[in-house]
Amino acid sequence: MVDAATAHRAIHVPAAVRWQASPAQTAALLLIALFLVAFLIVPILRVIVVAFTDRDGTFTMVHFGDFLRTGLLREAFWNSIYVGVMTIVVASVIAVPLATLLARYRFRSAALIHTLGVVPLVMPPFVGAVAMQLIWGRNGTVNLILFDWFGFRIPFMDGLNGVIFVEALHYFPFILLNLSASLANIDSSMEESAQNLGAHGVTLFSRIIFPLALPGYVAGAALVFVKVFDDLATPLLLNVSNMLAPQAYLKITSVGLADPMGYVISVIMVGCSLAAVGLASLALKGRDFASQQRGGGGLSQRTLGRAGTIAAACLVIVTLALVLSPHVGIFLLSIATVWSFAPLPDGFTLAHYATVLREAAPMIGNTVLYCGLAAFIDVVLGAMLAYLVLRTRLPGRRLIEQIAMSAVAIPGLVLGIGLLRTYYDVVLPGGQPLATFWLMLVIAYAVRRLPYAMSAAGAALQQLHGSLEEAAENLGAGKLRVLARIVVPLTAGGLFAGFVTSFATAAVELSATLILVTHAADAPLSYGIYVYMQSAAGRGPGAALGVIAVVVVAIATFMAYRFAARQRGLRSREMF
Amino acid sequence: MLRVTTLRFCGAVVAGLFALSTAHAQGIEDRLVIITSFSKDVTTPFAHAFEKKYPGTRVEVQNRNTAAAVAFLRETRSNPPDIFWASAPDAFEVLKKNSLLRSYRPKAQGLADKIGAYPVNDPDGFYAGFAASGYGIMYNTRYLRAHSLPAPKEWDDLKKPIYSGHVGISAPSRSGTTHLTVETILQGEGWDKGWASLLEIGGNLTQVSDRSFGVPDAVNSGQYGIGIVIDFFGLSAKASGFPVEFVYPTVTAIVPANVGIIANARNEKAAEAFVELLLSDEGQQILLDPKIQRLPVRLSTYERAPAAYPNPFKDTRLGTAVRFDVDLSEARYELVNSLYDRLITFRLKELNAAWKTIHDAEAKLGTNASDAAKRLIGDARRLASSVPVRESEAADKSIAGSFQEVKPGQKVAGRQAEFEEKWDSFAVKNYAEAKAFAEKAAAGR
Amino acid sequence: MARGVEIERVSFDYGATRVLHEVGIQIQPGEFFAFLGPSGSGKTTLLRLIAGFGRPSAGRILIGGRDLTDTPPWRRNIGMVFQSYALWPHMSVAKNVAFGLERRALSRREIASKVEAALDLVGLRALAGRRPAQLSGGQQQRVALARTLVIEPDVLLLDEPLSNLDAKLRHEMRAELKSLQRKLNVTTIYVTHDQEEANATADRIAVIEGGRVQQIGPPVDLYDRPTNRFVASFLGTVNLIDGRIEAGRFFADGLSLDGVTADGGPACLAIRPQDIELHEGTGGLSASVTAREFLGGIVRYRVRVGAQDVIVESAHRRGATPHQVGSKVMLRLDPRCVTILR
Repeated sequence: MVDAATAHRAIHVPAAVRWQASPAQTAALLLIALFLVAFLIVPILRVIVVAFTDRDGTFTMVHFGDFLRTGLLREAFWNSIYVGVMTIVVASVIAVPLATLLARYRFRSAALIHTLGVVPLVMPPFVGAVAMQLIWGRNGTVNLILFDWFGFRIPFMDGLNGVIFVEALHYFPFILLNLSASLANIDSSMEESAQNLGAHGVTLFSRIIFPLALPGYVAGAALVFVKVFDDLATPLLLNVSNMLAPQAYLKITSVGLADPMGYVISVIMVGCSLAAVGLASLALKGRDFASQQRGGGGLSQRTLGRAGTIAAACLVIVTLALVLSPHVGIFLLSIATVWSFAPLPDGFTLAHYATVLREAAPMIGNTVLYCGLAAFIDVVLGAMLAYLVLRTRLPGRRLIEQIAMSAVAIPGLVLGIGLLRTYYDVVLPGGQPLATFWLMLVIAYAVRRLPYAMSAAGAALQQLHGSLEEAAENLGAGKLRVLARIVVPLTAGGLFAGFVTSFATAAVELSATLILVTHAADAPLSYGIYVYMQSAAGRGPGAALGVIAVVVVAIATFMAYRFAARQRGLRSREMF
Repeated sequence: MLRVTTLRFCGAVVAGLFALSTAHAQGIEDRLVIITSFSKDVTTPFAHAFEKKYPGTRVEVQNRNTAAAVAFLRETRSNPPDIFWASAPDAFEVLKKNSLLRSYRPKAQGLADKIGAYPVNDPDGFYAGFAASGYGIMYNTRYLRAHSLPAPKEWDDLKKPIYSGHVGISAPSRSGTTHLTVETILQGEGWDKGWASLLEIGGNLTQVSDRSFGVPDAVNSGQYGIGIVIDFFGLSAKASGFPVEFVYPTVTAIVPANVGIIANARNEKAAEAFVELLLSDEGQQILLDPKIQRLPVRLSTYERAPAAYPNPFKDTRLGTAVRFDVDLSEARYELVNSLYDRLITFRLKELNAAWKTIHDAEAKLGTNASDAAKRLIGDARRLASSVPVRESEAADKSIAGSFQEVKPGQKVAGRQAEFEEKWDSFAVKNYAEAKAFAEKAAAGR
Repeated sequence: MARGVEIERVSFDYGATRVLHEVGIQIQPGEFFAFLGPSGSGKTTLLRLIAGFGRPSAGRILIGGRDLTDTPPWRRNIGMVFQSYALWPHMSVAKNVAFGLERRALSRREIASKVEAALDLVGLRALAGRRPAQLSGGQQQRVALARTLVIEPDVLLLDEPLSNLDAKLRHEMRAELKSLQRKLNVTTIYVTHDQEEANATADRIAVIEGGRVQQIGPPVDLYDRPTNRFVASFLGTVNLIDGRIEAGRFFADGLSLDGVTADGGPACLAIRPQDIELHEGTGGLSASVTAREFLGGIVRYRVRVGAQDVIVESAHRRGATPHQVGSKVMLRLDPRCVTILR
């Protein structure tokens, strides 16, 4: 006779089975958690603790009260929000038509256009803003011509408008890439059934296509907001200081001032960014359309007639010209002798490239090494985490995912100081502190870019039906083999997208770099650019280095796109 | 990849062993780590010269802006670099206060004690001046020509309405040398009159940059036409081929650029040798390089300088007009920074608007303004030139101390944020009122 | 108003491959017409061309006498139910159904009442507020149907609508579809690879294979009188025996049949399994049973006659003993049940 108690005991399910996880997977999750704690949470806490302590070390919220009472800071707060929202608007104006065009019509040079869509992310620090001023500034190329011929100027670069303009050009690829991916995932029968029922053109787009692609758009828009909200380089270089990020930077890096306000602002920035990301995911709850649609296939591709091709080409060229103007400016600067108060440089020379290749060649290798390594770490950890979140039921995995995603909201400066503070006293064999060893730079890059790789991997994994893996397991493949032979190849497109984004943005990162780089021999390109741009004679070489940075990233992106496109082709839907 | 790293490593070991032997022969270490805010144009010639003189020692230069450098030194007490090398005396003061510098008195002879009224070396011996720079006005000739503007010569010129929106400066809170210029004006003209000048010039400013190089950079590009800059920025830009000119106004600050040995430095002997090199004949000669254009502190070097090279020791115009009180400057250092930021840097738009309205009103009314109008304009000017802190308050330890690192037990009159908020509201209110008064004056006769 | 569909010598190329070869079909107004064929035959392509997804490389498509070849899909007033139902996940059931009506100038109240009526027709009025993700497969299919019917299309196209349902549901749904179609009298074209489905529902069937129409006709005609081997074997099990006809007699290796009314020459004899009689006695062709399958209602035998293997099916009666494997039996073929194919 089996009584209830024994029956209950007998049905006890081992934890591993309940969680559907193997020891290896649990270990993987712990590893990721450890990575995040060591290189994200602890350093950040060590920095922001200042915001919450009084002069004598006791906990207090008085600094936050001061923040709210200070008119300038309240203004900065609203300005930051305003700039963030407006950047989304302007970036959408650029990205949405471009994404739709690329999704709808057959383009011979689609690969090229996709590459050019990523290049804006690679805006070398300092030099990018200088170039923008030279072209769009009050006395830049465009305005000098406008004033000479028509007698008026357009204040592209004045005040907040300048920031919005530069940021939109810099970050619109987030919307472009995410929206494109979403559009590509729409089941073609969604569109066809709507057409069948009488919808076409704008109605079709606004009622059916865009709502289905909304998750991609919202993800991109949220990312744009967060990046803009936290960006200090652009406002500083355009001399707009009444926004939160530059205020924080100015306060934290003031000599001689022990001002907690900088850290208070950092905490508020992090809070707002997290709130934005949270809002976005809330808005997308229940709209997981990707998994509700059977196949992908995307929108039906059409060929353009003659007139259509010309019109589309015009739109693309105008958009790209706008978007690549800073890079054009950097290029001109790199081959210019003197460029001052004139639409174009006075003369041209290749001397700057000679200088740079002579003095800074190792930096190019360093950049490729650090950013490649960081991107690789990102893809591995990001894919692992995405897999654990989507395919297992381990406890705590969602929390770790949230923490990892929040890394994108952490200002590089804060992380840099935190890492320095935490690891400077850890000495490696050989006498060098861990914090200034070049690997720490790689980690700093990797930590802040992990969210890109994670969401790319997650999106790719969601498209993969679990039955494909189960079929492999059924045929005798262990979990690891399934990963290697099934999961990774079929999600390769997404993984590469994550790799490219990580790599591209790490190549031009400056704020953490400035804090952590100690030996010139270990320095990456962005540091080199910074050093050059400190003097009048260094402008040319600085721009040359900037061009090299862009070229390196463009090559990596192009190769990744070709690889990913090939993978995508293997999964396209059949005609009949 | 591993191969390359291994090879690099082996190569480094071998090179290191060689260096070690040579270095030991000369009695100094094989490595010298310098943290500096100077650009490559300055550091490279000196680094090469040092390595040539001491072949066994490798010089590593870490380039950071001053604030980041100070922050870095604060974090890395356990294993710091050897030399801190920068132009801003204020950074050195901060480091000195935090016991991050080691005292060292250079053995070199033939150096000046003072430049103008400013002492070259730290009286306590924690840092030494190796070069001097002055402050002046730099302008873009093409820009001025295109806007039909005359070249400015004096600070007072910059108050003129024609220059409205064409001038740039870097914030004193971000540039130690700018700070000293501001402090010189305050000490020279007096607290209230000095602030009045600064605010009136502020009315013409189009930008207050957060980094020293931001201003010459903008003038070089022609973004705006006139910049208040350190002399070597202007002179070296001209030497690089940019269409710019530089002038010293009559009242100018000449301040030393400094070098100091960091406390707890590993390579002490190398550090001392470096300081000596900077101050030697050879080192001082390097300063005359067109790309560097600093003023030597060694008197004899000027004999070999080109004819028109500025000489603060001979040319009595430069830097002697003001009796500079270093202690006063130090006491109110942070407060002045914050005040400038509140009144000018972060309220530039409002300040510009106020002064533009005043200038427009004055232009409109001309010489036959009514008494009422004259009074209104006078009020407007007063409002747009006043400062919410009295000179005595500025030097008061408890008030000035609110802006500094507080030692336990020290009493302060309030939190920095509180003062800043007060000053900010003061500025906003005053500028708005000034604008209103000027508009009213212009609307009248 | 029911309209007829005319497919006039339509060809279609996909890249360099010709996928439809001069297809000609005439569908009468109000007819329930099936395109039947294996996967890859081109039947879905043809259906999509009628809907307007793709343009024929040659030929025309007329609906109700109007040439619609150049008309885009959204102006054809044809309703299509997709194989995946294609319900829009971000809209409720009611909104899905209302979508097609919003293109027309109808008041909100009119739309609402039409939507209600359509959902009533398929028995799903109660689920109007649900989202597609909350519905079962069968329910989704009905919503898709309601969505197309509500616009009162000239022609209704169904692309393998039942393939995603389980067997029992399939039987139910196909009866419902048929009765709905009858009631509304809308010209319907139904694409399927399942011959049983086509037989059960269609008025006429077009068998399509390799991009060509093999035969068109009512199900019974196609079944009893196939015009080629493919049609014969696609619509149910059939025995195809190659041989010769000489003077009213069919000869094959080990098998002969008298009374064949067809011209002489090489011929293929087609006969259905149930038209062959199996008995243990005398008269007929001698054969031996090589295999036996009990299928519930019928018993299927594999029988060797001379050098031929034929399949014979007999109805299973309760209590009857089936023929043993290996036993010798006699076959009787009725020449009237035979079709001669060349």
